[in-house]
Amino acid sequence: MKQIVDRLRQEAARLLAAGDVAMVIGYAKGTDVARTTPYFATNEEEAQNLTWNPFCTNNLVKYLLDFRFEDTKLAVVVKGCDSKGINRLIYDRQFPRERVVVLGVPCGGLLDRSKVLATIDPGAELQSVEDLGQEFVVRTDHGEFTFAKEQYLLPKCAVCRNPNPVISDVLLGEELPVAEEEKSDTFDDIVEMEALDPAAKSAFWDRHFNRCLRCYACRNVCPACNCRECAFEQAVPGWQQEACWLSKKASVDNNYTFHLIRMFDVTGRCIDCGECERVCPVNIPLRKLYRKVIKDVQELFGDTTPGLNIGDGLPLTSYRKEDPEEFM
Amino acid sequence: MTVKLINKDRFNVFLERLASGNELVAPIEEDGNIFYRRVTSVNEITLEADAFCFAPKGHFFPQYEVLYKYQQGSNALVLEEPGPAGPSVLLGVKPCDARALLSLDPVFDGNYKDAYYLDKRVKTTIIGLSCRKVRYNCFCRAFGFGPTSGEGADLFLTEVKDGYLAEALTSKGEALLKDYSDLFTETGVDGALQEKEQLAVQLDTQFKRKVDLDGVKARLDNMFEHPYWERLARKCLTCGICTFVCPTCHCFDIIDENGGGSNCGSRLRCWDACMFTDFTLHTSGHNPRPGKKERVRNRFMHKLKYHLDRYRVTGCVGCGRCIEKCPVNMDIIQVIAEIKEVG
Ligand code: SF4
Ligand code: SF4
Ligand code: SF4
Ligand code: SF4
Ligand code: SF4
Repeated sequence: MKQIVDRLRQEAARLLAAGDVAMVIGYAKGTDVARTTPYFATNEEEAQNLTWNPFCTNNLVKYLLDFRFEDTKLAVVVKGCDSKGINRLIYDRQFPRERVVVLGVPCGGLLDRSKVLATIDPGAELQSVEDLGQEFVVRTDHGEFTFAKEQYLLPKCAVCRNPNPVISDVLLGEELPVAEEEKSDTFDDIVEMEALDPAAKSAFWDRHFNRCLRCYACRNVCPACNCRECAFEQAVPGWQQEACWLSKKASVDNNYTFHLIRMFDVTGRCIDCGECERVCPVNIPLRKLYRKVIKDVQELFGDTTPGLNIGDGLPLTSYRKEDPEEFM
Repeated sequence: MTVKLINKDRFNVFLERLASGNELVAPIEEDGNIFYRRVTSVNEITLEADAFCFAPKGHFFPQYEVLYKYQQGSNALVLEEPGPAGPSVLLGVKPCDARALLSLDPVFDGNYKDAYYLDKRVKTTIIGLSCRKVRYNCFCRAFGFGPTSGEGADLFLTEVKDGYLAEALTSKGEALLKDYSDLFTETGVDGALQEKEQLAVQLDTQFKRKVDLDGVKARLDNMFEHPYWERLARKCLTCGICTFVCPTCHCFDIIDENGGGSNCGSRLRCWDACMFTDFTLHTSGHNPRPGKKERVRNRFMHKLKYHLDRYRVTGCVGCGRCIEKCPVNMDIIQVIAEIKEVG
């Protein structure tokens, strides 16, 4: 990991010094041992604060949109999963390819923060992390800890098929081998849900949606949610709320509407980076929704997970003669 | 002030009886989240020592609530207000959350009396509970109280070896001890009080993060235009998490919803947050806080300055929830330290 960190700082400093980019969006040390924070380096000195370790969970791609109406060039650090978000923004014409330098990290997986914090004191100072393939060795001022990946990876990382960025300008480490059997998604989580009877499914989602706070963190972090104005935040006065798609009242029926609209909006577009589920403050299993539609689209149109390449048409917005139409 | 003791077995009887005679609201777990909810069976109650628990502010200020219903009659508009709240008991309230109510009270009980909040506030008895562990991001101590402070509660419990120490801090608390006097005893109170003192000393050593608010407000008084906000705000997603989990955030929006028959509907108020793009958006289209910088600045200014300016009580009580739940590690403890560096 040290090599990646050194390479990252070097590359960021070089890009900033040469004026190739105005800013490098990456990660810096967070406020507890198992956390990092998004960081925006604007000069060589700040580039030295950039870091890389298995706590770099945030997908940073969404920040590009904050600069979409400017003309500066930016660099952004991406893992395999995040990199699909770059393709999403390019395909959606939200950010031009020529304005972004993609710093790709072949990713050995992320550690599950809550599991790690059950072992290491959150106040410990992170000194270094080494990726030994099957395990991470985490060195802190409170001692050295070994975390077997099998047990400590985030669920999404345990089944990751794209640890290597699918798009990158500078690769900050050696490409990782991916076993052939790991390359296709078996959707076990979705198959399990599909097997439930309708009443059980309904009870499941009632319970989860009922506690949605409608904080919109899931939307705000999502690279596929890139509309300038959102259907859920229409600028109308209170007495005209009726004209909106959705009322502010966070009741279970409205929350269903919110979640199902969002699900349809990201159909064929969700890159399955899992950020929505991570940021949700009330643990709603959102990936189950979006992975269901990924699976459906795959079965109907044979597309793979969106974002693997820039693409030449999305299943739901393009027309092909051979598209299924048994419902017509 | 009456101080009594209740043993563990009797405590369960106490809960049973509270739940049968009142609306009892207590921490209840669901899919790994702990919320204050109405208790249907006392077995659901989780008084866990070391878990994240959402704030109980929703009991007084629900995420959405009907202000009144309207119906267009043949010659007049008929309005129907919701009935008054019944008496309720809020159980297991942490010291920071009890303190937070004292920061919310002047907002809803100031020049303008908010009937909806006050009705529930007056009719609720608050049973506080000393913390048994200090979480990593807790910093209540910086605000001059601590994990065994009962301020804001009516009856304040502390778990001790033999049960719970119960201190009545208000007349509502006294009434509770009187109503359930068959369950509480005076024997052993002195020992339990000593145990509480020891607990306080021990908990005090558990605070990991150093927070010093000295001079922060004075710096903020002159920091409105500081470039710091722009830098700080970059990473913010402007979601509503930090404000929705905060026990002192209290912004709301009022909406009308037609429905439930012809020519009728209801007027509701719903939680709002200064992080949202349509927050206080003017009809003209002007937005006083058009971007992240203004929104993030507003939250920290409100927590650490505006609330003090307006009400002389802090807008933050150091519960650490916003730190814990923020998806980008925006950390008010770090912000406090940085304000002192850059301001
Ligand atoms: S899903 Fe893959 S690329 Fe993404 S963080 Fe996990 S291991 Fe890395
Ligand atoms: S992040 Fe969670 S709580 Fe917030 S709107 Fe999304 S699903 Fe609801
Ligand atoms: S500070 Fe964190 S929780 Fe608050 S709006 Fe920004 S990203 Fe969301
Ligand atoms: S600002 Fe944060 S720490 Fe302060 S009371 Fe609100 S949630 Fe708690
Ligand atoms: S911080 Fe924002 S949401 Fe919270 S009370 Fe202040 S203005 Fe309202």
